[in-house]
Amino acid sequence: MKHPFLIIAAALLWSTMAAAQGVRYELRVDGLACPFCAYGIEKKFKKTKGVEAVDIDLERGLVVVSAGEGVQLTREQVERIVKDAGFTLRSMTEKTLP
Amino acid sequence: MMKARGIKKAGVAGMVALIYSAAVQAHDPVFGLGPHTLFKNATEVHLGFDPSRAGRNQQTRSTLEFAYGLTANWTARVELPYESREKGPDGIGDVGIATKYRFWRRDALGVQESSTAFLRVKPDTASSGRGTGSTDSILGLAYGYESRKWYRWAAARYRFNGETGEGLERGDKLLLDLVGGIRFKQTAYLEPDWVWMLELNGEMTGRSKLKGVRVEDSGGSEWFVSPGLMWTLRNFAIKTGVQLPLASDLNGNQEATDYRARLEFEWHR
Repeated sequence: MKHPFLIIAAALLWSTMAAAQGVRYELRVDGLACPFCAYGIEKKFKKTKGVEAVDIDLERGLVVVSAGEGVQLTREQVERIVKDAGFTLRSMTEKTLP
Repeated sequence: MMKARGIKKAGVAGMVALIYSAAVQAHDPVFGLGPHTLFKNATEVHLGFDPSRAGRNQQTRSTLEFAYGLTANWTARVELPYESREKGPDGIGDVGIATKYRFWRRDALGVQESSTAFLRVKPDTASSGRGTGSTDSILGLAYGYESRKWYRWAAARYRFNGETGEGLERGDKLLLDLVGGIRFKQTAYLEPDWVWMLELNGEMTGRSKLKGVRVEDSGGSEWFVSPGLMWTLRNFAIKTGVQLPLASDLNGNQEATDYRARLEFEWHR
């Protein structure tokens, strides 16, 4: 009888740990020439629910968006944000943080 | 004689009001028109100071502007100027409303190229003695190339001048701008950023008419070379520059421009 409880407890613990993991989105964005203009990207992402940090590397055209637990950004959502900021999304990769 | 002086004053005021109505934005040229628009739902507050001198006419125009990004390609703007003249009454000048629409854009890694159409309308809202005394409008087209190191812009504007209550029709005006810019050091996103610019600004003005009669001392052309600088930190910008006369061919007896300067503070969020 002890085993089912242990399995349930382990499953709950695992799911809690999984939910606590954040997600890091790496976006290749074209058109990022000046920092003043790039501010629109930071502003737009920071207004998005669950986004915790935004880092911008102008030389590499890279925008790194860190989102909190349970937050999922879709490609369409990201594309819309980048477009509204006045730039073009080229690619998007997603990494779950350990 | 009094009439001629009035016409000259109106001409100078109109010229100054025109020059300081470019709806400029950071990372656009200081004096010329650039293609930048705000990001969607962005708000911008802009404060500008524009001292100028043409012969015995000296004035400073201070302008408070508010802009809003209707979309990432479409910006609307309201301008509230305050005019201080050495000769003449100080006070609020003609309020202006302007819009820019970016109809073409090409993005690449660290590069943005774009073209914008521009419209500005300036109704006759100022009290007598200030503003131009007429409802004027400007149509413009601007192209810009912006990279991590180099900038280049080209623009043309045409100003349609209305008739004043005294029957003065100031000549229409064509403005041309060619601008180059360089960022000597490619700074990171959160670091202060400097861009140096050199502008060539040309102004060609038609002759004015007073009650249908051509005004001899009006119209002509002036060309300026204008070094400028913009400094930005995240969403705050300071821009400054000075227009120095390069060549002047004014009809009749008119005061040529000695200099025009500009200092601007801009913040958007």
